[in-house]
Amino acid sequence: MNTKKDGLSYAFFFCQQLDAAQDLNRRSLEKELGPRIRFFPLPCSGRIESLHLMRALETGADKVYVIACPERACRHREGNTRARKRVAFAQRLIAEIGLDPDRFEFLVASALPSPYIDKVARELLARESQVDPLPWGNKEREAPKEILRKEKRDDYRGEKAPRRNQREHRLL
Amino acid sequence: MNLESRLKMVLSAGHFAVTAECGPPKGADPDLIRKKGNLLKGFVDSVNVTDNQTGVVRLCSLAACALLREEGLDPVLQMVTRDRNRIALQSDVLGAAALGIRNILCLSGDHQSFGNQTDAKGVFDLDSIQLVQVVREMRDSWRLLGGEELSQGPDLFIGAAANPFADPFFYRVLRLRKKVSAGAEFIQTQCIYNLPKFKEWMGQVRDRGLDQKAYILGGVTPLKSARMAEYMAQNVAGMDIPDEVINRMKSTPPKQQRAEGLKIGVETIQALRQIEGVRGVHIMAIEWEEVVPELVKEAGLWPRPEI
Amino acid sequence: MITAERKPLAEIKESIASYKKLLILGCGSCVAECASGGEKETALLASQLRIDAKKEGRTLETKEMTLDRQCVYEFIDQLAGVIGEYDAVLSLGCGAGVQAVAEVFPRAHIVPALNTTFIGQTKQAGLWLENCRGCGDCKLDFFADVCPVTRCSKGLFNGPCGGSKNEKCEVDPDTPCAWQLIVTRLEERGKLDSLEKVHPPARWSKKEGKGPRKIAREDQRT
Repeated sequence: MNTKKDGLSYAFFFCQQLDAAQDLNRRSLEKELGPRIRFFPLPCSGRIESLHLMRALETGADKVYVIACPERACRHREGNTRARKRVAFAQRLIAEIGLDPDRFEFLVASALPSPYIDKVARELLARESQVDPLPWGNKEREAPKEILRKEKRDDYRGEKAPRRNQREHRLL
Repeated sequence: MNLESRLKMVLSAGHFAVTAECGPPKGADPDLIRKKGNLLKGFVDSVNVTDNQTGVVRLCSLAACALLREEGLDPVLQMVTRDRNRIALQSDVLGAAALGIRNILCLSGDHQSFGNQTDAKGVFDLDSIQLVQVVREMRDSWRLLGGEELSQGPDLFIGAAANPFADPFFYRVLRLRKKVSAGAEFIQTQCIYNLPKFKEWMGQVRDRGLDQKAYILGGVTPLKSARMAEYMAQNVAGMDIPDEVINRMKSTPPKQQRAEGLKIGVETIQALRQIEGVRGVHIMAIEWEEVVPELVKEAGLWPRPEI
Repeated sequence: MITAERKPLAEIKESIASYKKLLILGCGSCVAECASGGEKETALLASQLRIDAKKEGRTLETKEMTLDRQCVYEFIDQLAGVIGEYDAVLSLGCGAGVQAVAEVFPRAHIVPALNTTFIGQTKQAGLWLENCRGCGDCKLDFFADVCPVTRCSKGLFNGPCGGSKNEKCEVDPDTPCAWQLIVTRLEERGKLDSLEKVHPPARWSKKEGKGPRKIAREDQRT
């Protein structure tokens, strides 16, 4: 399948369980599209945070896909349900600022042809694009690692105040 | 002036009392109240005036009661604790007595979110039972909450409301007992359509001897239409309208529903007269006060006794 | 904890409209627990505002910081070297936090991003319920640990009213009738007779008293 030469930039967040050899399988598209495509494998789709989607968009992705394992097939039981909710939340956030919520799309894998990530990404890229390029120019590209890693916190605490651990956990 | 509560006199003489509710206007015209009062005169022993019912601003109960007093009626001041703090409540109690009002019904009141002033602060400084206690203390000991002495206590016949149909059913009578021991002398109940349930409640009331300590008046609201029945069943808090009643109204042709509703009302009143411990009926025909004389007559309760 | 919700975005945007450099300040305590102002939410709001600025062709530079608590000077002091470089601070702290920060830096414009709501508990993930009104005169022991001031819509101490339907409050069918809970709990414990006596009116002076309240502990002060 030829990749669509529509000039849009894409980000793919996906569950690693869908493609054990994803590291290898995504190279072909990475080569073809260069900075226009970024892949973010996740140990579980449930690890996606709304912030990841926001940051992906902020750093130039016109369209962000989140691909999760099928219903009831999540190795961690509820990861895909959680992922769906977080994508929906991120959609509300961009809708609030007047952007098309369809820029974030949640998908559940159905068949698993091989090589999965290559096949699925090409299929999605071949679709008629339903979003416009982001309305600002000069899109910064940020290395994939920067989006998933927790943002480095500046050391503003100075020498004196003892550091209490940030409450990072949520109930689920 | 040395007025007496006609309601108290009728009840203590052993007659089956008749009270009716009167809704004040959403405006400043006193004649509207006077008209309603004169409609009811002679057909009821006392007239309740509602107090910003369902949180909708209306001519205040205190003023309306004073106007009815002037027309020669015996008003029952309904006082809710939703809108006034203890300072205003006690002050209004004194004012009511000074204006010759001799009956008071102490209520908490519908929540303000139901009315036309939903951003209002609901006061609820006291609840209905605390208010009963406060009024009794003012009347019997000439003291305010906190103990300070009054120069003259208010002469008031104290009442409270009861809802035999509300949750939790097992606790309703215990709460009634609380109201009575706090000082409630007469009780007006929520309107009755479910007679079996009401009889069950009255059984519990009698078991505790509460019918000997306070005069229970059963509430009756005549149904205007099947739609009214359905609306009330779904939307009014604490209402219990059995399906038989709703179906009875629904199966009546629309032009005859009013008459059927009245018929049900008459039947209910007649049933109430047969229940031991029920000492009167409280007719709540809000915005339909003109039907009260007919209802009272049909139920065989007219003319009212000479006192 | 104290709960809060993010203000409508339009309100926030209006307050910060003229600013190009913004310090976006989260709080790691209560508002983190109720997912409205913690580090995560701070990052989300910052990202949203930056994208929005880009979209509208405005300059907006942001820095995100989260203090352990915004209501305690020990932590607010950490802003000392930082705050001067920004046009304003968008605070995701509760009302107490916003005001405390404003006191330490009175010349800075501290913009509240949240509407502080109530004192409550986390009932389940994503669900917070009000259960305390800070009346200053706790009566939970009389009411089987169900607060009538807070959880009864009419604040009755001698309830229930008679408007409840299916054990829910007449005001909101999702809200359990507090008095249903109280009465049922006492009944189960065999302590229903504790409700026989009329519970007296509240001492609102403990809440309203003489204006905003304070607690002063000499043994704790330096």
